[in-house]
Amino acid sequence: MIIRSLMLRHGRLAPPRSTTPFRASRWRRCLATEAPISQTESSQQPLPSLDNASQEDSSEDPTIAQWNFFQHQKAHTSSLGGVPEPHYKPFMLLANPPRPQDITLELLLASQSHLGHATSLWNPANAKYIFGIRGDHDPIHIISLDVTAAHLRRACKVAQGVAAKGGLILFVGTRRDQARCVVRAAELAKGCHLFDKWTPGTLTNGQQILGRCKKKAVNEVDEEVVGFEPQLKYSSAVKPDLVVCLNPLENYTLLHECGIHNIPTIGIIDTDANPTWVTYPIPANDDSLRCVQVIAGALGRAGEEGQAQRLSRAQAGHVDYAATHGLEMPTKDEFDAAKRAQRGISEHDEDAEEDELLFEATPDPADADDVFTKPSSTVFAKTEDGLSAKTEDELRSKQTPDATSEVQGSSQNEAAIDGLTNVKAEDEQFGTLAAEDMEDLSAKREENADVASGPSVPKAGSE
Amino acid sequence: MGRYNLSAQRVHKHASQLLEANRISAPPPWYDTIATFPPSAILVRPIFQRPTIRKATRKPSKLFSPVKLGYEEDRLRWEYFNDHPWELARPRVLLENDGRDHEKWDWSHALCQPETREVGEAGVNAWMRMQQRSQASRPLNGEAVVQRQMWLMRHENMSEAKAYDAARKELYRARHLQETEQRVAKEEAMHYGAYFGKSPLEVGMQLEDAQWENWKAWAEKETTALKALQGSAYTGMEVDSALDTPEVAEEEVQELAGDVPGSRAGQSARGGVAVHP
Repeated sequence: MIIRSLMLRHGRLAPPRSTTPFRASRWRRCLATEAPISQTESSQQPLPSLDNASQEDSSEDPTIAQWNFFQHQKAHTSSLGGVPEPHYKPFMLLANPPRPQDITLELLLASQSHLGHATSLWNPANAKYIFGIRGDHDPIHIISLDVTAAHLRRACKVAQGVAAKGGLILFVGTRRDQARCVVRAAELAKGCHLFDKWTPGTLTNGQQILGRCKKKAVNEVDEEVVGFEPQLKYSSAVKPDLVVCLNPLENYTLLHECGIHNIPTIGIIDTDANPTWVTYPIPANDDSLRCVQVIAGALGRAGEEGQAQRLSRAQAGHVDYAATHGLEMPTKDEFDAAKRAQRGISEHDEDAEEDELLFEATPDPADADDVFTKPSSTVFAKTEDGLSAKTEDELRSKQTPDATSEVQGSSQNEAAIDGLTNVKAEDEQFGTLAAEDMEDLSAKREENADVASGPSVPKAGSE
Repeated sequence: MGRYNLSAQRVHKHASQLLEANRISAPPPWYDTIATFPPSAILVRPIFQRPTIRKATRKPSKLFSPVKLGYEEDRLRWEYFNDHPWELARPRVLLENDGRDHEKWDWSHALCQPETREVGEAGVNAWMRMQQRSQASRPLNGEAVVQRQMWLMRHENMSEAKAYDAARKELYRARHLQETEQRVAKEEAMHYGAYFGKSPLEVGMQLEDAQWENWKAWAEKETTALKALQGSAYTGMEVDSALDTPEVAEEEVQELAGDVPGSRAGQSARGGVAVHP
């Protein structure tokens, strides 16, 4: 609540005047040096009265007169009235969220993070996070503030580290009023946000659900790189590297899919939630919007710091994370087409020659990301779906009998076509068994036939 | 384990296995971070808590369950709210500013401003009043009474009953002052032309009037229906029965009393405000 020290404006309980000293800037403003006409007269009088000012500026633009009047009023009346004490302002949690360093037990207490649910509704798996029981008729569990603080700080470290290593953080908060803090946290950490329902299958069926997402390739300093549009057109959306869920009880499907895809998760675990659903539980009250905003803000700030670290290191030339995008260098034609599309000029243009020169002169943008082996040797997207890593040679060998080989036989196009349908790739896998495997299979088939025919065939004796 | 899906906890191990088997070419971005800050242990039994009130038989399964928290003030709260049950109906603000409000509250100061009847130095009285004013942000409710009582018991060595009496009488005084101020403020405002809308009695009368009109409409309908029913039994001229409602002579409503406490005009101030003993 806002306290004005319960004072009346007049009477025996007079309010205290403002204790700030008289500022020189106000004095200067009173002199009104901006207005050229009133300069000489106002310099003689320290405080020009209202009537003088209006008389002087009546011939001037009324805007200037209004401005001078406003400044005069402000100078005389701003020190009047009560002074509100520092108090809680809800919008400050969004405008200036707390940093991980600002997390204190007092802040968590004021944010009602210690209030758990009724004791009959608890999940005994998080017994260690509970401080005690409070209440006679309808007792509730009280979550330990120090446990909350420790888990929150650890989660902030994880978020900072993931952002520093070029990871994508997804903030999810599907309750009604969590949208603003979710968006703000994603803004700070340069990640993605979700405040609507999570469509089941967004990760497992990503090609279908997020197939039409806009994708772009950026280099290590977050500048967009052209030329990858054909590859990106047929690839499914990028999967997050860390998921922060502000209400896990309502997002079980999301967390289950993250487990399938081996994505670590952070979640706010109340006394009735299951702590095994997330990798990093934060035991706190998920029903208090203030608590959720504090936690989301702290995680967003941690992500922001990680991003700043990453960018400063990248600008110095150090990139200490691997490129796991699975993209390959664009061909010259693709690059030219992208440049043309960017500039919005037609194919037959004089600038086409310039583009060719540019293509040769500019350094490889993909190389900048490479620390480990080049991505062209493996198709990363495939491995996530569980299929074996294929080399370029394997891809080419499968390509030749294919009917769609009208397209020029370069490895990038094979990857693009493979990316179109997983089914085709699987068929090809089954179709090209090695000769040895075929022999083994036929041998096994004969064996099974012998066994099935019956025990009439006498086994070789023990003699 | 059977019922638990621990894939979220095994994320790092899974990634290590994939790397080892060359299923992925490079570790994911979170790999090193999670190795540095691993998830905390889960599904761990809590610390053995010895309950303060020892029961003779305590089942082993209950020894590890959360403990009921108890404070000395709980007993005082129970006493206070038993004596003043309607205090529970007063709304209580749970909003805190920064969690350090209790550091600013000094329970050595009385709940209400102390009497300044004693002739002392003007400076001393003014200083005391200023000190008291710093405590104006304290809440004025049963919790304040309990805390004041605790302070008196601890620092002034009062007995529980004596401290309770002192604290609750300070609350009564403070509430009395508050209510008087509110009443006077309302009178002043109305004198200057403010109006506060309908009083509860007026709203009640309005609702009753609306119900009365509803009933009248229903009664008229019922009457005509009854007349029709009765009329259908006979074949003859309609005779005006006693069921017809006589016309009510409209008379001017006389005002019996001028000032009524709950009305808009309010009660005229006759002086002689009740003096607190």
